[in-house]
Amino acid sequence: MFSLVALSLLLSACGTGDMEGGAPQSNGGSSAERGSISLDLFNQKPEITAQLENLAERYSEQSENDTTISITTVGSGEGSAGLQARFSSGDEPSLMMLGGLPEVQRYSHTLVDVSDMEVSAQTIDGLLEGGTIDEVPLGIPLNIEGFGWMYNRDIFDQAGIDPDTINSFNDFVEAVETLDSQKEELGIDEVFAFSGGENYIANQFSANFTSPEYNHSILDAYQATELNWEYGDRMQMYTDLFNVYNVQPILTVDYSRSVEELFVHDRVAMVHQGIWIVPTLNDIDPDFASEKLGILPVFGESDTEGKIVAGSPWFIGINSNMSDEEIEEAQNFLDWMYLSEEGQEIVTGDLAFVPAQEGYEPEDIQDPVSRELYEALLEGETAAMTHNQYPDGWFQQVLYPQFQRYLSGDRSWEEFEEHTAAEFEDMR
Amino acid sequence: MRGKHSKLYYWAFVLPSLAAIFIVILLPLILGIGTSLTDSDGYQASFIGLQNYTRLLSDDQFLYSLGFTLRFSAVSVLLINAIGLGLALIVTQKLGKISVLLRTIFFMPNLIGGIILGFIWQFIFVRAFASIGTATGLAFFSGWLADATTGFWGLVIVFLWQMSGYIMIIYISFLANIPGELIEAGEMDGANKWQAFWKIKFPLLAPAFTISLFLTLANAFKIYDMNLALTNGAPYGSTEMVAMNIYNTAFFQYRQGYAQAKAIIFLLLVALISLTQVFLTRRKEVDV
Repeated sequence: MFSLVALSLLLSACGTGDMEGGAPQSNGGSSAERGSISLDLFNQKPEITAQLENLAERYSEQSENDTTISITTVGSGEGSAGLQARFSSGDEPSLMMLGGLPEVQRYSHTLVDVSDMEVSAQTIDGLLEGGTIDEVPLGIPLNIEGFGWMYNRDIFDQAGIDPDTINSFNDFVEAVETLDSQKEELGIDEVFAFSGGENYIANQFSANFTSPEYNHSILDAYQATELNWEYGDRMQMYTDLFNVYNVQPILTVDYSRSVEELFVHDRVAMVHQGIWIVPTLNDIDPDFASEKLGILPVFGESDTEGKIVAGSPWFIGINSNMSDEEIEEAQNFLDWMYLSEEGQEIVTGDLAFVPAQEGYEPEDIQDPVSRELYEALLEGETAAMTHNQYPDGWFQQVLYPQFQRYLSGDRSWEEFEEHTAAEFEDMR
Repeated sequence: MRGKHSKLYYWAFVLPSLAAIFIVILLPLILGIGTSLTDSDGYQASFIGLQNYTRLLSDDQFLYSLGFTLRFSAVSVLLINAIGLGLALIVTQKLGKISVLLRTIFFMPNLIGGIILGFIWQFIFVRAFASIGTATGLAFFSGWLADATTGFWGLVIVFLWQMSGYIMIIYISFLANIPGELIEAGEMDGANKWQAFWKIKFPLLAPAFTISLFLTLANAFKIYDMNLALTNGAPYGSTEMVAMNIYNTAFFQYRQGYAQAKAIIFLLLVALISLTQVFLTRRKEVDV
């Protein structure tokens, strides 16, 4: 009996031993002199998987070291759990996409300092901040994303509203009321299709009002131990407004209904969304983004100061548990991706990114809303993505349910603020 | 000599499964209990004693999820068994080919995974029901899944849809095993169909109840996939069942120690309820 146990243990030991000893070491070992380094990138954005694979292939084609990069994708809210699973199983990725400072912090002891990289020097001022722990930048911003009220230019035109004249909250209310009064002529179901059934939409919406409280700084938001809802009453004003003029029941309006069904088919005038919907819009109606799409700022701070929330929600970190050659190759890849002509072409073309680096021509950016965003960011006229810096799980478990309760009339705004603030402190 | 050999064979056959159980069930359980005594975030952990367990008592959402799951299980276990038995009685009548067709149809939903069922029914509740509502003007059909009550009944309906056919199969096999002479004898003594069912078939079905109740109860407690696809806890966490609450604690809040503590309590509770049920229904079983 004992020999049987011993045998099976021995067998299994051999099995795992082979796996551990084999693959990774041969990469860093002597064979690396003649090249063949293989890296893998952990991707949390499923919508760009194919483009990233293409990018990786182009890199290996021109690589002198015969490097191959494979892409692993886990997304749709399960990305962080997937990444953690990779780490706890010992199969650590060499490059990983990290969302926000809490996630960078979690892996900070195994990330390479990126401050000496060429691409870091080219990054737009302040954008490295979102991947910086204890003053050491640990990630390269993947791209710039931004969100606010995305509107349908056509519908605004027909209703006789000039979006450029919306310079205060009152102007915004007036525009909404004008749209509502002409619902039938405009052929729209309602003015808004706010996705009350998506937790990340509630989270992003809140950034409009928590960014001013944290001085439009990601770092301040990350270090904050409490949330006082200093601009909470402004959030309430907006919430009350769209809840009246929204497709109902608002709590079951999900992303696909709000964007793919209503917004793109001219059935609502506005959604609270970000520029990541552009590829989807292009798939359904190739002219929509270039001809009809616009973005309105949110007056989150005061009646007259409107801002679009923009920043880099994703950072690419490099694993430090690799051989020096591998780390160097990973850095080369990122430099190539953002600084070489070929890489840049893919970044603005295939990937349709708004780049987080200086030195791109605004004309290279494809759709007008993305261009607007890039220019606003260069001029520092944007609010920060403070919503990525809340305590882990807070927006899914606290903010979103409580916001839904307010939308359905189950909670007063005071209770909403009190409850979410208390949990914020507790979970930080 | 022979005795020794058979002992060797005995262990040779038992050991692989014992090892498997130890590695995939016992070991994780022991490690889990260990983790539940720490403040682990999946990465670093330090020992904090029973703090996680005391904390549970004041976790409103967890207690709510527990209550919700208990309510859900009670309602769906009763309904599934009633419907499953009803379906079994229908298809065991002498209906010829139709009975085979009906069996297949009733069993079909069970072949579809919980995730898909959840999405199909989400579409039915949110879109199809809304269209019926606007067409007929009946308020009953509007706003499904938008509040806690319809969320609850939505989950119950989908679970009934999925499980009833499966439970039907179990009842069919037991119904088919009831000796015809017993019914015949009952009829000779003047029992009508109704009496024959309640006095003869029903008691003889007791073992089927033991199995079916156990299966539905255990399944109802552990639902995650359907819950995720249909409501994902919405609106405002009111349909978050325990399994989902535990997963969210572990993988959204990264409080893995705390999630483990919840899971241990959950395990004890499910074990307690299921074993009590098996014990109680076993006593009702009769031997023929």
